[in-house]
Amino acid sequence: MIQAVLADDEVLARQKLRQLLREIPEIEVVGEGATAAETIDLVKATKPDLLYLDVRMPDMDGFDIVGELSAAGPTMPSIIFTTAYDRYALRAFEIHAVDYLLKPFTLERFRSATQRALEQIKANRQNPHSDAPKSPNGTPYTTRIVFKSKGRILFLPVSEICWIGAEENYVRICTQSETHLLRETMTHLEEKLDPNLFLRVHRSSIVNLSYVKEVRPEVDGEYGVHLLNGQKIPMSRSYRSRIKNWLER
Amino acid sequence: MHPLIFITGVTSLGLLFALQDWIGSRFWNYHVNLFLLMEAWGAQFFIWGVLCWILWWTLRPQISNASIKTILLFFLPLSFFACVLEETIWVLLFPRLPMGKPPMPFLQRLSFNLDAELVGSLLIFWAAFFLFRGLGYYQRFREKERMATQLKSQLVQAQMRALRMQLNPHFLFNTMNGISSLMRTDVAAADLMLEQLSRLLRITLHRGDAQFIPLSDEMEFIEMYLAMQDRRFAGRVRQEMKVDPRLLDAIVPTMILQPIVENAYRHGLSRLTSAVGVLSIEASFVGSKLRLSVTNSGTGLHPAAPKNGIGKGVGLANVQDRLQMHYGDDHTFSISEIGDNQVQVVMTLPLHFAGRPTENTTGYGA
Repeated sequence: MIQAVLADDEVLARQKLRQLLREIPEIEVVGEGATAAETIDLVKATKPDLLYLDVRMPDMDGFDIVGELSAAGPTMPSIIFTTAYDRYALRAFEIHAVDYLLKPFTLERFRSATQRALEQIKANRQNPHSDAPKSPNGTPYTTRIVFKSKGRILFLPVSEICWIGAEENYVRICTQSETHLLRETMTHLEEKLDPNLFLRVHRSSIVNLSYVKEVRPEVDGEYGVHLLNGQKIPMSRSYRSRIKNWLER
Repeated sequence: MHPLIFITGVTSLGLLFALQDWIGSRFWNYHVNLFLLMEAWGAQFFIWGVLCWILWWTLRPQISNASIKTILLFFLPLSFFACVLEETIWVLLFPRLPMGKPPMPFLQRLSFNLDAELVGSLLIFWAAFFLFRGLGYYQRFREKERMATQLKSQLVQAQMRALRMQLNPHFLFNTMNGISSLMRTDVAAADLMLEQLSRLLRITLHRGDAQFIPLSDEMEFIEMYLAMQDRRFAGRVRQEMKVDPRLLDAIVPTMILQPIVENAYRHGLSRLTSAVGVLSIEASFVGSKLRLSVTNSGTGLHPAAPKNGIGKGVGLANVQDRLQMHYGDDHTFSISEIGDNQVQVVMTLPLHFAGRPTENTTGYGA
């Protein structure tokens, strides 16, 4: 059983969380905090695995609570922020929050955030000290990207990216259900991504290898990368050796 | 300035000189006829008044804008000519003057008078010239100030309008009504619609009162708007978007596409009964301009509506007003029927690119 604490100064907001959590039987709500002080005491007392935390509380903000808690001891709950403000997203990302839900959020969005938290909590229980693979300059490859898209904040795990296409000064990140336009360069993005998972197949495309179904020659003699969802991405000659190496592994 | 006022003013000046002359003569114990003095001085200044008025009337822009070169090459000779002309007329009018001298032939009188009064006459001419020049400057200054005030108030109006345009209140209330309806039948759908509406509002609020935004932002907004419309039309409309990636950073007036898309739904796509409608939005280069087009299938333009741009509804008129205000005549806007009941709105705008975006909300990590 996974234990969760809900912290929000608004009773209706807490009620919503409680109701949505009823549909997730794995989670047991062990307490609700309406103020920062209450929340801190509650977390210290119950040591939950998961904390749903509002950023704006009447006495302190959510980050103060996190600071207070991490000063108190090494066991920190996983945190999902729920807030009406989008401007704390980067900060939440930096303190390794699981997700950042902008109010009002849908059941679907809430479920995916909670699911992610559950996976993380379970993984931590099994293997508390796993390290992400490192890039040549020593920093670990990115496993999540935070960005703003269409009025939401997304903490997108890179594993959900199918492929990335270049559009001049932007890149288009395509997941199975959506696409997001980001102001970013392909080169910069390529550096951030683990080359064992992502492959640049063209000047203007990077594919996630776990979504690749096959690589096929086309009628014009060029090769195309076919994804599991049926999309086809052209591959350029200069990048073909890379995918050959990968296929031959 | 009314010519009557000007000429009367100048003539009165002449009469004052006459009076001064008369008082001066009295002081030195000369007895001169005051009326004759008045007549002579008055006539002289009256002639000057008329001449100067004609100058002002015909050469106003030249007087205001004359360069040193023009002044030396045109107005200097003109000033001599004007003096001679004035003196000639005056001499013709007063054959008995100067007094106290034996009668002289016309040319002699002319040269006598010119000799006596050329410097004074030149002074009058140039005084008038610089007076007019000053007046010209003053008028232009006032004009500029008036324009600035007008522009400012127009800007305020445009901003207010733009703010009002950001989310059409009707759209807002209709959506809320939709949510209210869904709440009873499909809670999950109501939930989703509420979330989508909030996202639109969030983006709108975030923009503040920016008059221009990158095309990528405008398209993002349109995408979300279309997603909501898609739900309302339950997949009966195929949406196509084609944006040249090189144009993503081009700046466009905020909310320039949304009213057009809304119009496409309201007057075209919503009237389709059976067939699947198509809505296509394109952004492309035309030479060095940005071309935006919104094409929709539907019922075509309403036959009663004139096609020359009048009576296209508040939304489109508003778009046109804003384009006019931002770009003057440096843009085009047209709405036309392009066969098979398709309606196309096309805008071409001057191409401007934004600097780097002000905030970065993208981050990488674990």
